[in-house]
Amino acid sequence: MTIHAAPPVRLTPTDWRSSKMTSRIARRYAAERRFRLLGLGAVALATGFLAFLLIHMMSNGISGLNWTFLSQSDATDPAQVGIWGAFKGSLLTMVVTLVLSFPVGVLAALYLEEYAPRNRWTDLIEVSINNLAAVPSIIFGLLGLAIFLNTFHLPRSAPLVGGLTLALMTMPVIVIAGRNAIKAVPPSIRDAALGVGASPVQVVFHHVLPLALPGILTGTIIGMARALGETAPLLMIGMRAFIATPPGGVTDPATVLPVQIFLWSDEVSQGFVEKTSAAIIVLLAFLLAMNGLAIYLRNKFEKRW
Amino acid sequence: MIHTQDAPLLKKVKMTARNVNVFYGDKQAINDVSIDVDMEHVTALIGPSGCGKSTFLRTLNRMNDTVASARVEGEITLDGENIYSSSMDVVQLRARVGMVFQKPNPFPKSIYENVAYGPRIHGLANSKADMDVIVEKSLRRAGLWEEVKDRLHDSGTALSGGQQQRLCIGRAIAVEPEVILMDEPCSALDPIATAKIEELIHELRGNYAIVIVTHNMQQAARVSQRTAFFHLGTLVEHGVTSDIFTNPREERTKDYITGRYG
Repeated sequence: MTIHAAPPVRLTPTDWRSSKMTSRIARRYAAERRFRLLGLGAVALATGFLAFLLIHMMSNGISGLNWTFLSQSDATDPAQVGIWGAFKGSLLTMVVTLVLSFPVGVLAALYLEEYAPRNRWTDLIEVSINNLAAVPSIIFGLLGLAIFLNTFHLPRSAPLVGGLTLALMTMPVIVIAGRNAIKAVPPSIRDAALGVGASPVQVVFHHVLPLALPGILTGTIIGMARALGETAPLLMIGMRAFIATPPGGVTDPATVLPVQIFLWSDEVSQGFVEKTSAAIIVLLAFLLAMNGLAIYLRNKFEKRW
Repeated sequence: MIHTQDAPLLKKVKMTARNVNVFYGDKQAINDVSIDVDMEHVTALIGPSGCGKSTFLRTLNRMNDTVASARVEGEITLDGENIYSSSMDVVQLRARVGMVFQKPNPFPKSIYENVAYGPRIHGLANSKADMDVIVEKSLRRAGLWEEVKDRLHDSGTALSGGQQQRLCIGRAIAVEPEVILMDEPCSALDPIATAKIEELIHELRGNYAIVIVTHNMQQAARVSQRTAFFHLGTLVEHGVTSDIFTNPREERTKDYITGRYG
């Protein structure tokens, strides 16, 4: 083989001190600074709004937070109203939602990722699930009204029906988050388990699911937090009634925190302004606790490899 | 069967492949391959990238089943039994034909759990003490025991690459397989770690049939007794390693082992 000699080229060293180069470098530094400021501005904007909301609510509502408020239910006199009934209603609704949507969502995600063949039907299912996650919540409310109340005659205004309706809404979020988390488990781990003779179910439950769990839990809690703040679908199924006693179980009439806030904000009596803010503080505290739990669980189960 | 030092040609066939074709969709990856795998021998599969040697290796424990588009034709037997017949239990097959992968892939669990996983799912240990014995024996045979015996409950992924690969070998032999498949087990390792693995293959050979895919012809020459040369999905030539390397019958084999291509 002949090697063609390269034509002689005179290499001139780059002059890093030329004015063109120095202005180039200056522009690069300026771009870095601009981006940094922009990012800082975005963070400041986001936290600023949250801080404003918190401070505003605190100044309006902190005086309304007392033992009566935390232990009583709705009443006609703003001095006597309490949040406990709505809080318990929210808690029961969330329990129903979680118990239904988590296992179904996780199993659906596992089936779609690990077992289902890739064809037109699974593509269609994938598109449908993504669509379902974006459907306005009021439509789920109408669906719940039509199916759970009119067809199955479940009790009106009950956390059971609220939970069922919100579970329909939360499930697609869990399926999507679950599929992403399952996809992120390296295939080499599946190969390793199959290679020592693990059956497909053992591969899923011994390896894939534990490794995907932090991601699934994060997605679940995001979905649950969204369900906790949901008002519209619960109005549709009658969880807006005036209820003066806290619910004893999932079939008792109840209301939930966001609906209670909505109802009180509509009251003409001056005393309810303070109580509305106080209820918002309770709702925010509940959300904060849920998100804190999400971060705790993620860190606890996260494994590195 | 009497097996003595001076009867090296007395063959104990463990696995046979007859007229094996593998397709990925419409594309044929393996074309009419027939070969035997013997007990107490290391069989090296060599050939340029994309020649189908890894694909063929994965047909021997049906790991190709996990690829939806893959289709295998022909007959592969283990102790005379067709592994592609409907009566063959794939889970049991993979316990009998263990596998070590190209990239070390320990589970993100402790060293102990990595080795104990296989025996546990197959119910090979009756007690914690039994399991301790299996784990120690497997890690000793994998040449890793002395390095990890004081930190069995540390994560397997915290070990060095070479140690991880020996852990994977220990994990494979913990379920007492009869055949071990190795898919380029040293390609991600440095020369010292590679030497350790090769030494280990020498020691393990007496108890298993070992099939190793390698890119490295010196490695094939060092560790194997049988060599099979693959090219473009066909088995060009196979036989005793020393013959293949000193006296190849086919022009293509000669060109490859002398470094003309590949």
